[in-house]
Amino acid sequence: MILNQLNASDRYAKWKKSLSYYRYILWGIILIVLLWTTFFQVRPEEVGVITRFGKYIRKEEPGLHIKFPILERVYKVAVERQHKEEFGFRTTSTGIKSQFSKVGTTDESLMLTGDLNLADVEWIVQYRIDDPYKFLFKVREPIATMRDISEACMREIVGDRTVNEVLTVGRAEIALSVHQKIQQLCTEYLLGIKIEQVVLQDVNPPDPVKDAFNAVNQAQQEKETLINQARSEYNKIIPRAKGQAEETIQKAEGYATERVNNALGEAFRFNALYREYIKAPEVTKRRIYLETLQSVIPKLGNKIITDEKGNNILPLLQMQLNNK
Amino acid sequence: MKTKKIIIQLAIFLVALIVILDTIFKVKETEQVVITQFGKPVGKAKITPGLKIKVPFIQKTNFFEKRFMEWDGDPNQVPTKDKKFIFVDTYARWQITDPLQFFKRLTDERGAQSRLSDILDGETRDYIANHNLEEVVRTINRVPMSSGSIGEEVGDTLSDIKVGRQKIQDLILISSNEKARDLGIIILDVRLKHLNYVEEVQTQVYERMKSERFRIAEKFRSEGLGEASIINGQKERDLKTIQSEAFRRAEEIKGLADARATAIYAGAYNQSASSRSLYSFIKSMETFERTFDTTTTVILSTKSELYKYLNVTE
Repeated sequence: MILNQLNASDRYAKWKKSLSYYRYILWGIILIVLLWTTFFQVRPEEVGVITRFGKYIRKEEPGLHIKFPILERVYKVAVERQHKEEFGFRTTSTGIKSQFSKVGTTDESLMLTGDLNLADVEWIVQYRIDDPYKFLFKVREPIATMRDISEACMREIVGDRTVNEVLTVGRAEIALSVHQKIQQLCTEYLLGIKIEQVVLQDVNPPDPVKDAFNAVNQAQQEKETLINQARSEYNKIIPRAKGQAEETIQKAEGYATERVNNALGEAFRFNALYREYIKAPEVTKRRIYLETLQSVIPKLGNKIITDEKGNNILPLLQMQLNNK
Repeated sequence: MKTKKIIIQLAIFLVALIVILDTIFKVKETEQVVITQFGKPVGKAKITPGLKIKVPFIQKTNFFEKRFMEWDGDPNQVPTKDKKFIFVDTYARWQITDPLQFFKRLTDERGAQSRLSDILDGETRDYIANHNLEEVVRTINRVPMSSGSIGEEVGDTLSDIKVGRQKIQDLILISSNEKARDLGIIILDVRLKHLNYVEEVQTQVYERMKSERFRIAEKFRSEGLGEASIINGQKERDLKTIQSEAFRRAEEIKGLADARATAIYAGAYNQSASSRSLYSFIKSMETFERTFDTTTTVILSTKSELYKYLNVTE
């Protein structure tokens, strides 16, 4: 019994000793936990929102900060980062060549235009959280809300435009109008979101009518081609014809000059001759006649000289000539 | 004895802790609280955040959301006034404005969502069925931007609307709020998110769009041919003009020259009877020179001028 009691008191002392030992460890852990929950870091792109007993107290800029442990809680919101939401498509993998998928997003992208046609519109909304207090505490599911707003706005704006405007000239204007409209609603809904940009991606006619739309483009090209071909044919013919016309006229001018000059020359020559001729007509005439024959006769092949008695040899000569 | 004391102290401390913990409660920024006593609401709802107190054990806290909440409708097939069947997908934002009333009427959020669905789906259906499709799609009256040649072909116009989407949304919102008035909630905004034709109508619309496009394509093609023909005709005309004008000019020039030459010749040759005879004489002499060559055979009589002295010399 005594032995037992002695044992017990001994054990008690031991327990007490080890208890004080454990106590240190316990205090140590508590201290670490307190320090851990007292200091916090806000990264450069973030803002720290602090609530005490659930009530909003203050905001902290980037850096190292302290707060009451346990009583205060910090929410970190990346206000400087630009976020992006995609509509009508999803990026499946990003990189130098990003890949996109359209599976199951037609509901988002297919919409009615103002002239009751359909268009397939894909777009991106880039935004920043500019009021972390509102973003955290004013709206449940702020991102989903923003998506709903964005879809409703895009349909509202596209619903006031014709399908041709949506597909061609209206793109920039639509992006701008949608941007303003989304921003307006985000403000109205106290989302604390600032829309940086709305970017229209692919805007297409729906798949089943794509071919028909392409046919129009093709026809437009064909039209241009036909006109260009006709123009080129025109250009091939007309300038050449103009040149040829000029040639004809120039040739005629040449002819005219030649004709007149010849006439002038010949007339002059004749006049000169005539002036002398008139002085001695008979002898001049004879002289010219004889001179001409003189110059002509040596050039001739056969020369036959007969008198009136030799007429009967002519048939013979005829035969001889024929045999040659 | 000593251990007993410690146990008692510990028990008191524990009980006190439990009591305190059940007295003080925290309300977050996003919450509001209704306190009930044996299931019956007491006092005003706590709508500001921070630490609050209540009577422990007999009073209970019921937390409700203070933020704007989403309501997303199921896509509904609704006929419009002009008998076009469309799918309508709406969304709304709502908020608990009177938690006490909300607690009494709807108990919790699930109840609220189903109640909202009843109200909003019904109102949406009513208003859409009372308006033409265009009134639901369009918001304002505007003149479409001209989209170049294609636009002109289709005759891009937007018909005038009287009510418009925004107005219809507003009307749905007003009458829904009317119906939800005693539920302790307010609907902030109702919007038509998706709007689309049902499948059969969609096929018809596609066919219409296709035929419209093909019509434009044909028009373009025929325009191309037409314009090419115009250019072609112009080419022929210009060609003939150029050629005939050149011919006319050339003939005129030649004619004038011929006339001048004739006058000159006549002036020279036609001076007198002797000039005329000289001219014909010279011309025949020239003709001799030109026409006689080595293949020519001449038979000359001794009676001729040239050889008459061959027989006799006078």
